[in-house]
Amino acid sequence: MTDDDSLYVYGVIENEDLDLEIEGVNGADHAYTVDYQSLSAVVSDIDTVEPERSDENVKNHDEVLQTVLEYDGGRTIVPMSFGMGFKDKRTLKNLLRNARPVFTRTLREIDGMVELGLKVLTEDDASFDREGVVADVEGRFDPISVNMVENELFSDRLVINRSYLVERADREAFNEAVSEFEDTHEELLVQYTGPWAPYNFVDIEISAQR
Amino acid sequence: MFIVDDILFQPFISILDAIHTLAVTEMYDIEAIQNELKENQLLYELGDRDEAEYAERKAELEAELETAELAHEQLDNKNIQIQQ
Repeated sequence: MTDDDSLYVYGVIENEDLDLEIEGVNGADHAYTVDYQSLSAVVSDIDTVEPERSDENVKNHDEVLQTVLEYDGGRTIVPMSFGMGFKDKRTLKNLLRNARPVFTRTLREIDGMVELGLKVLTEDDASFDREGVVADVEGRFDPISVNMVENELFSDRLVINRSYLVERADREAFNEAVSEFEDTHEELLVQYTGPWAPYNFVDIEISAQR
Repeated sequence: MFIVDDILFQPFISILDAIHTLAVTEMYDIEAIQNELKENQLLYELGDRDEAEYAERKAELEAELETAELAHEQLDNKNIQIQQ
């Protein structure tokens, strides 16, 4: 299925004109905004409404979101999950109109916040105090985050796999807390990622005709 | 004779099928393989696994995943379901 007028949507921000030269999904070379009243969808022109979920496409989807998230002092963006193609601008605007209350509410809920990822692993065969590590993580990071979700422990070596919703203003404090945690637990491996658009803290299901 | 065979044989076939289904489900655990792929990626990103080890393990796991998906596809085609 191809359509030269199709649009791929990365996420939704408060109404603003943006035009970014950036590699997008399916070879798009820029991302721009399509407005509906108080909202703007960040989109690229695309030749299909069903782009392939390749590693490169997923990476470019994330990078566009991260760029908007960090753009010129930072933006709040409600991220779309990968694969949101719309057959034309009118269909997209219909979605924005229908879902405007939920987008508006979500933008308010995550205003000025970013998502940070924290994974903690043990070395192979290392003995360690799991409960102590979890308690330490909670003691350090809960006070400087607004919300937290536990992600799947997909490996026996994973002790912590969490996503945190953090105010931009608290990012430096979070960075320092991660460094201190690493210094205290040299026996552990720590992967700290972000900032991400807050995927894990928005819950919008798009079921409209695309 | 054919009828007797058929009646005698039928439950036996069902049990075999059931055991086979359980074996396939256990041997070809798609979720476990996907988890190992994620673990392999994470350990590589953390520097705990070098690029050669990572690539070798990834290739092994992708092959295992393909086999597992095929096994499950064949099982689904036989339409045998075991409640667990």
